[in-house]
Amino acid sequence: MPRSQFIDPAEVRKSGYIKFQDIPVNQYNKTIEEEKSNFSTEDFLRIYRDMAIIREFETMLNTIKTTGEYKGVKYNHPGPAHLSIGQEASAVGQAYILDKDDYIFGSHRSHGEILAKGLSAIEKLGDKELMEVMESYFDGAILRVVEGRQKDKSNVKELAVDFLIYGTLAEIFARETGFHKGLGGSMHAFFTPFGIYPNNAIVGGSADISVGAALYKKVNQQKGIVIANIGDASLGCGPVWEAICLATMDQFKKLWEEPYRGGLPLIFNFYNNLYGMGGQTYGETMGFEILARLGAGVNPEQMHAERVDGYNPLAVIDVMKRKKKILEEKQGPVLLDTLTYRFSGHSPSDASSYRTKEEVDLWMSIDAISAYRKQLVDAKVAADDKFEEILEATGELINKSYGLAIDDEISPRMNMIAKPDQIADLMFSNEKIEKMDDREPEVLMPKEENPRVVQISRKIRTATQDGKPVSANRVYSYRDAIFEAIMDKFYTDPTLIAYGEENRDWGGAFAVYRGLTEALPYNRLFNSPISEGAIVGSAVGYGMCGGRVIVELMYCDFLGRAGDEVFNQLSKWQAMSAGVLKMPVVVRVSVGSKYGAQHSQDWTSLCAHIPGLKVVFPATPYDAKGLMNSALAGTDPVIFFESQRLYGIGEEFQPEGVPEGYYEVEIGEPDIKKEGKDITILTVGATLYRALDAAKILEEKYGLSAEVIDARSIVPFNYDKVLESVQKTGRIVLASDACERGSHLNDIAQNISELAFDYLDAPPVVVGARNWITPAYELEDAFFPQPEWIIDAIHEKILPLKGHVSKNNFTPNEQLRNNRRGV
Amino acid sequence: MAEPIIMPKQGQSVESCIISKWHKKKGDQVSKGDILFSYETDKASFEEESPVDGILLDVFFEEGDDVPCLLNVCVIGQEGESTEEFNPNSGQEESAQQEDAVKEESKDADQSVPPAEVQTEQAVPAVSQAEGAVNRISPRAKNLAERLGVDIRYASPTGPYGRIIEQDVLALRDAGHMLTPAAAAAGGASGIAGTGLGGRVTTSDLQAPAAAAETISAPAVQSSAGWLVTDPGYEEVKVPNIRKVIAKAMHQSLATTAQLTLNTSFDATDLLNYRKKLKASMERLGLANITLNDMILFAVSRTLGNHKDLNAHFLNDTIRYFHHVNLGIAVDTDRGLMVPTLFGADTLSLNELSIRAKQLAEECKSGSINPDLLRNGSFTVTNLGTLDIESFTPVLNPPQTGILGVNNIVQRAREVNGEYEFYPAMGLSLTFDHRAIDGAPAARFLKELKTNLESFSVLLVR
Repeated sequence: MPRSQFIDPAEVRKSGYIKFQDIPVNQYNKTIEEEKSNFSTEDFLRIYRDMAIIREFETMLNTIKTTGEYKGVKYNHPGPAHLSIGQEASAVGQAYILDKDDYIFGSHRSHGEILAKGLSAIEKLGDKELMEVMESYFDGAILRVVEGRQKDKSNVKELAVDFLIYGTLAEIFARETGFHKGLGGSMHAFFTPFGIYPNNAIVGGSADISVGAALYKKVNQQKGIVIANIGDASLGCGPVWEAICLATMDQFKKLWEEPYRGGLPLIFNFYNNLYGMGGQTYGETMGFEILARLGAGVNPEQMHAERVDGYNPLAVIDVMKRKKKILEEKQGPVLLDTLTYRFSGHSPSDASSYRTKEEVDLWMSIDAISAYRKQLVDAKVAADDKFEEILEATGELINKSYGLAIDDEISPRMNMIAKPDQIADLMFSNEKIEKMDDREPEVLMPKEENPRVVQISRKIRTATQDGKPVSANRVYSYRDAIFEAIMDKFYTDPTLIAYGEENRDWGGAFAVYRGLTEALPYNRLFNSPISEGAIVGSAVGYGMCGGRVIVELMYCDFLGRAGDEVFNQLSKWQAMSAGVLKMPVVVRVSVGSKYGAQHSQDWTSLCAHIPGLKVVFPATPYDAKGLMNSALAGTDPVIFFESQRLYGIGEEFQPEGVPEGYYEVEIGEPDIKKEGKDITILTVGATLYRALDAAKILEEKYGLSAEVIDARSIVPFNYDKVLESVQKTGRIVLASDACERGSHLNDIAQNISELAFDYLDAPPVVVGARNWITPAYELEDAFFPQPEWIIDAIHEKILPLKGHVSKNNFTPNEQLRNNRRGV
Repeated sequence: MAEPIIMPKQGQSVESCIISKWHKKKGDQVSKGDILFSYETDKASFEEESPVDGILLDVFFEEGDDVPCLLNVCVIGQEGESTEEFNPNSGQEESAQQEDAVKEESKDADQSVPPAEVQTEQAVPAVSQAEGAVNRISPRAKNLAERLGVDIRYASPTGPYGRIIEQDVLALRDAGHMLTPAAAAAGGASGIAGTGLGGRVTTSDLQAPAAAAETISAPAVQSSAGWLVTDPGYEEVKVPNIRKVIAKAMHQSLATTAQLTLNTSFDATDLLNYRKKLKASMERLGLANITLNDMILFAVSRTLGNHKDLNAHFLNDTIRYFHHVNLGIAVDTDRGLMVPTLFGADTLSLNELSIRAKQLAEECKSGSINPDLLRNGSFTVTNLGTLDIESFTPVLNPPQTGILGVNNIVQRAREVNGEYEFYPAMGLSLTFDHRAIDGAPAARFLKELKTNLESFSVLLVR
């Protein structure tokens, strides 16, 4: 709660009623005659052409999937094809008024939206601009395929249409000449130069990403609106609701300052085809009856909700014009219920057992394309022959791209034998970009006047001074280090924003952000709803549009709430876009203790398992600042683990203390915190300090000198120092606070076994937390690895220590027993 | 209900046993008590009786297979009953591989593991020296051993679960157990005197004796046509496991120690008289049939206390002195020489000692001896006197430092007051390891033993 807002009990306790306004349902009722003033004959016919192109494109795919050929030419497409036959009018109607600065995000069923939006953009772009786009995209690789194959060689728009259809189809067929080299495919195709942003194979996945894109437009004052095209059934998904909550926050209208004040330029457009796979949202799986109803509960504007007849392209164009105006007036976001119907099944394997033939036939009998054609003929916009001409041209158009896209010579797939690293090289962009835009960063005061900065300047930047520990209040701490790095970037990169729970007045749950509120306006630092999914999902959208962002989830344990966003979105889009998109997103999570089973978990291993994420976990102030600087300078998603055990600690390892200036600690480089020769201990995170205690015991009681290495990063990870150490010592214990089963340390141990096998005097031994719930603070010593555990494990598994008596059971029998019991 | 028969676990340290013979074959009718199969460890062999009547429905292992203990070996039941559920190899490539691995390991063990007794005496935890068990050594230790040319068969493992680790190899280096890599590859043992750098045994050291043998045996060339016979004139029999073990142990002993033998004899008059008395009152007193050998064992167990160098293990850089006398008793069995241990012989009465010695010998002969009783002796007594041997050179059982051979009794003349009289003289042959003990102290032991035996009745009183 910001201090500037006052909650008056008299106000909130007042009795009364919530009043709702009527929500329009299919209110469009204009005739063609009436619309003639809005559309030229060419406009009317182009709308028809665009719908026909989509119909033919989808029919081609359907024919291939069901008969293995199109127009007599055989082809096998084993991949997915979720078709939108029947939904063409809604896609074309929506795209009609949009240009390249308007971004659409789609679903698994978005071929039609790509084509409609692309055709609309081509129509609006000049020849020069179009040529620039086609020439520069992958150095003209797609253009080379389609150029010179047009009837009218001087017609750039004709060329661009071929480019669009071919690029989309080649992408669907996994060709290297596809829009994303075939790495996205049917469900993840897009083309950003035309404002077509990623489609998403996760139901509702585009909702929160779109919020991030809208945030990007608002924060960076970019032209255009954003549309999340998702299905009716996605309303059953939590993250969609989270996205709606995040997008409708009061603060946009009440706390953000001009020119940022006002609602997001965003439409949640539900292509409502009444089914989610076979589940019928109307009457079976949902209770809203009419989807537009839901807007009523969200905010006083009722999200300007409306149902529009998506079977009529002109009705959709009409509603889009009105809604875009609302967005331009900063009254967004808008909820649109675009009613439509798909003739095709969910996918070609769908036998449509959940609906009757009568129902499908009835919808087909009022097919939008035929109906529109009849209306135009009746209104004498054009003769029926004209439409036949269009259909014939459309058939040739699609067939041309089909022929090109299935030709292995013209449209090869990635040659993974000749260039085996092609996909590997796309997993991370690995760029260093100091700032994502050149404008002056917007801040509220000079950095040096910031109260936190002033306070930090008086602190001692080492843990000890003259041999004595520096007091907690005077020591430059781990939390100061993270603050310093983030503060620095806020004053460098104007696109950088930070949000999450308690990020503003509170100063972050662990006081890292204290001082940021004074330095930054709302449009750069704000509190979000408790919507972890949407927090990360929107960061994905913000990042892929070109902005840099830090989001915070407080406890690491809340990562589960953002599972899809972290594991399927944040991690995947750089590679699925073949490097077209960057993802400069830092997700801060904090590993807790003292708060029991749902607030004390180290989930580095979960993140490490997912390809495409960088994972770091600094354990010292020096590393925290250096790694945060690296994370914020890069263009890759970084899951930045922090530890609540460490926020208050000072720097013990850098004799000169933590530098005041900017420096980077390279992600992926472990660090030797203590040299030794008899045994290596590798740790992740806060376990470092317990390992150092163990090293002390080993030295004093058993005469063994331990080398202690802090992993610092989990992904990527350079093994050189660790292997060198193991070659020297022949022995290694790996310890972290992650539960032992499935801990990434087992992965590291396995790699060491393989890479240093001949040097090992004992198997690498992993000491992790128990495979239990984290108990109460008072019992934590029985759960998290302790120095004695490390000693016992060494004694039992690596090197029997003279006179040592184990307190913990690290015998093989116990190991087997625990595995049998699943603990 | 079909009943599986498992490979019994004969003693703590036994991990697996080899099936030496099947007495029944698949499909045979068997009765309770019938011998199903014989099996052996490296030290003993056993027979498994059928616990039930029925048909031998299935056999999972063949003769020669090394079967991990407690695994099902065969199944007895009634006609038509399924046995697949008992098959330890059933359907799983993995278990087959494991089995192969066991075979492989035991093969390796045969080739590279020193005689079990030697290894045992070097305090290897039980698990590491069982037949078929893994020879535990860390990759680092193994590499270091190869680089240094250290003979790891002499390592005293200090790693977890009997694993040889780096420090054990370094200890060997310091103790001088060196071998050049080529010599190691040629199967050389470090017990051979090394002529290489730093005393390493080289391949030429290994070849030297062989070359000498060739020279001696090369016959004069004669025309030999027509002497050929088509019958090869021999048969080849696989060397039984126990023979292999004995062969290795004996060779190892001669190759790695500095043993020599002292011979003497003593006047057995008192001993024989005493035995006569015992025999006469045996039944009345409920005594065992105490033999001369038992009496010698008794005397040895009482004499060794004053000669700790001979009741010891010589471990290169350390010598282990035993507080009690664990007396190894050489027993001749059908399968070969076995040496059960009579633990704490110095604490037993003559009667107790006699009873136990007999039982141990019986168990060895019947093959039912617990392998754990075949280890950890501190001194050995072997008796060829009953076979009319007058003198011989017993072979040490390393790392023991001494072994006493007992010979037959001959009438010998001696001069007493100018007259010759005959007396029964019994021969004693003491082999000792000169590395551990010098000639004079060894002779002093023999002398004291001789005194004790000549006044056996006095010894009993002590």
